[in-house]
Amino acid sequence: MGAALTAHAAEKTLVWGKPGEITSFDVHVAGTVASWEMYEMVYETLLTADENLKVQPGLAVSWEQTSPTSYVFKLRPGAKFSNGRPVMAADVAGSLQRIKNPETASYWSAQLGTIARIETPDDQTVKVELETPHPAFLPALAHISAAILPIQELKAGGFDPAKEMLGSGPFMVKGHKQDESWSLVRNPHYWGQNLPVADELEALIIPDDSARIAALRDGRIDFTTFENPDIAKMLGSATNIAVLPQKTTNYFRIDVNALSPKSAFNDKRVRQAMNLALDRDAINNLVFAGSTSVDYPVPAAFGKSACKSTPTYALSRDQRLEQAKALLKEAGNEHPRATLLATSADPVFAMIAQVAQQSLADAGFEVQIQQPPMAEYLKKVFTDGDFDLAISWLAGYTDPSMVIAWWNPKFALWNQVFQQDFPGLDNVLDQIKTMQDGPDRDAKLDEACKLIDDGANLLALVSKVDYVAYRSDRVKLKLPARSGSSNTFEYVAEFEPLH
Amino acid sequence: MRLLVYILSKLVGAFVTMLGVSALVFFSLRFIPGGYADILLGPFVTPATREVIERRYGLDQPLFAQFVRWLVSLLHKDFGTSMVTQQPVIDEFMRRAPVTLELASLAMALALAIGLPLGVAAGAAPRGRRRDGLARVVGALGASVPDFVLGTTLILIFSVWSLWLRVGGYSPFTQDPILNLRTMLLPAITLAVFGGALILRTTRDAVLRVMTEGYITAAVARGGRPTEIVLRHVLRNASIPVVTVVTTYFGFLMGGAVVVEVLFSIPGVGLYVYNGLQNRDYAIVEAGVLLAAFVFVGVNMLADVLYAVIDPRIGAGVSR
Repeated sequence: MGAALTAHAAEKTLVWGKPGEITSFDVHVAGTVASWEMYEMVYETLLTADENLKVQPGLAVSWEQTSPTSYVFKLRPGAKFSNGRPVMAADVAGSLQRIKNPETASYWSAQLGTIARIETPDDQTVKVELETPHPAFLPALAHISAAILPIQELKAGGFDPAKEMLGSGPFMVKGHKQDESWSLVRNPHYWGQNLPVADELEALIIPDDSARIAALRDGRIDFTTFENPDIAKMLGSATNIAVLPQKTTNYFRIDVNALSPKSAFNDKRVRQAMNLALDRDAINNLVFAGSTSVDYPVPAAFGKSACKSTPTYALSRDQRLEQAKALLKEAGNEHPRATLLATSADPVFAMIAQVAQQSLADAGFEVQIQQPPMAEYLKKVFTDGDFDLAISWLAGYTDPSMVIAWWNPKFALWNQVFQQDFPGLDNVLDQIKTMQDGPDRDAKLDEACKLIDDGANLLALVSKVDYVAYRSDRVKLKLPARSGSSNTFEYVAEFEPLH
Repeated sequence: MRLLVYILSKLVGAFVTMLGVSALVFFSLRFIPGGYADILLGPFVTPATREVIERRYGLDQPLFAQFVRWLVSLLHKDFGTSMVTQQPVIDEFMRRAPVTLELASLAMALALAIGLPLGVAAGAAPRGRRRDGLARVVGALGASVPDFVLGTTLILIFSVWSLWLRVGGYSPFTQDPILNLRTMLLPAITLAVFGGALILRTTRDAVLRVMTEGYITAAVARGGRPTEIVLRHVLRNASIPVVTVVTTYFGFLMGGAVVVEVLFSIPGVGLYVYNGLQNRDYAIVEAGVLLAAFVFVGVNMLADVLYAVIDPRIGAGVSR
């Protein structure tokens, strides 16, 4: 009894206040950040991305591009699943094939490009041949949606990815109480030297911001995340709580319905006027107290100059308003009416909506805000196309060609009900997908930006910042200054409990 | 025998009610915009992936066929499987039921402790007296404050100043009774304010009505002491409407005090059903509403039986 108590006392436990629960156990299927965050504790990807958005080793310790369409990956010796079995080339091949299988319904399939064949010459080597050049293939492998599963166990029926998690990441699942908590323990076979530092990771599901604040204050949780930019103010003067803003390649956006005959935005001039009238600076200043920055279809985080010279960004507010009013007059609709959807799932959406509503009114728009529940919003926007405007955010990932590809509705598919297809833009985007990073691709990105700005169909607003709050007296965190794959806690294995 | 027939007639009524509830919840749920595929794939859902997901969970079948399949499953005590966890939902309801029962019991105890004595005191007091006026104000105020307003206010206050109580972070009673009480008291108070006001007002009105009866006047004329009159004559005769309100409110609480459980992150059945609804995880909501209806109907049946015990004329009236 005494020994057990001593052993328990020696265990180092991290407690994470998790704002949302997973929507599925299947890492290859779920398209929600709340799910990805949990998968990232348990699963690993072939590659990872660092805070400079450069691809780094993951389960593959090295890789080589032998031709524009051929890649050879060498697996990390010593990498094992938490059941003790080494990660082998067949697991990588099987995982990629599973993602590409339409029956899996993985939304990530398109980002991997078209895989012609996968070969496994030995247990440590994987060769992938693409049908066409696709430089975003490597960054796409760094997203958790391309996690490597234990395919041998899956095929033998000993592992069901829809019911459980079995990965090679730093932690493994010991217990789960739905909507309440997760209990993770260290993966004893994890390849990291003396990692993870913590023996256990408890995740408490606490969706309410105030409840998470209270939990931080009274020490029930060690760290958590917030979307609300006012979080530092809400936490008040607590000296043992620190708030770190983490930059991302993600940005808030407005989807505009160009296809519905009921919508005023069916007319390109009205869309362009709306894009010009939006006051992105006001959104940054009023909603985020100036803590973020105006963002572009090619996320600012990539440090490219693309998009910055388009009228939406280059002109002054007064000039934009003047042009917007002229466009509305030309369209014969000087006071267009529209409904702006801002789902109640995220309070920041409503804040952005209010500022957008005010700035659009300056050009003559009459905008009403609606706050439908998440499922209703998703159906209205992405299935029925029954809306005018909708606020959301877009993941920027780790390469500009990945996010900008969504402007081609034939590639994206999810925006086909509201995004107008411009063959000229599709053509440019297809070219970008096959180009390596460099001046030529930058010029093409700029060309795409001009066409995107002209279409005014899916509008970037401001960068999305994640706020990590933690108890500085209870945990030592290591966070990437910037995350490109919604992997806020990329270095969780190195988090050190201080209590 | 009369009581047995009375109970049987109530059972038949309960069965019909349950069948109606099951159909209502099943079909109304399918007409709510959005489905599990929307939640699962988020904004990345495409017609092709939606089709795969719907086929995987049998949602591509005709609605009536799905309903029949669900009813058949219910007959085999199978309440369905969560699409999120792939686990039987009944297991999760069983795990959570004690939490909701505890919250409901605590809220009920607080509501009774506030509402019953205040209601009796107000009803027994001569009209226009200060305690009657005070009770009326308290009753009106308590009944008109929505639980989400009160709950949010309490969270805001107690998340800044803990004052011994805790916001969220449920701890089972069996693990740490004191911590459990610290966690459950705020949500219980949030629920008890409305329940207490309801009981107060009902008790006051019932006592007022009984106080005008001839047998009370006779008891007073006989020189009975006020406390004795209230305890022996007033309470029993005023109890039927109070029992109705108490059992109905308890049934409501047992069905899952959804708003309060969500606000305070109490892992009871209400939170489970709420999240199930948000995720369009149909089996959870269907089973949750059905179980809530079952509890509600059961508690009401208990109330009906209690009426018959309190006042034998009620049971006799039915069997005649």
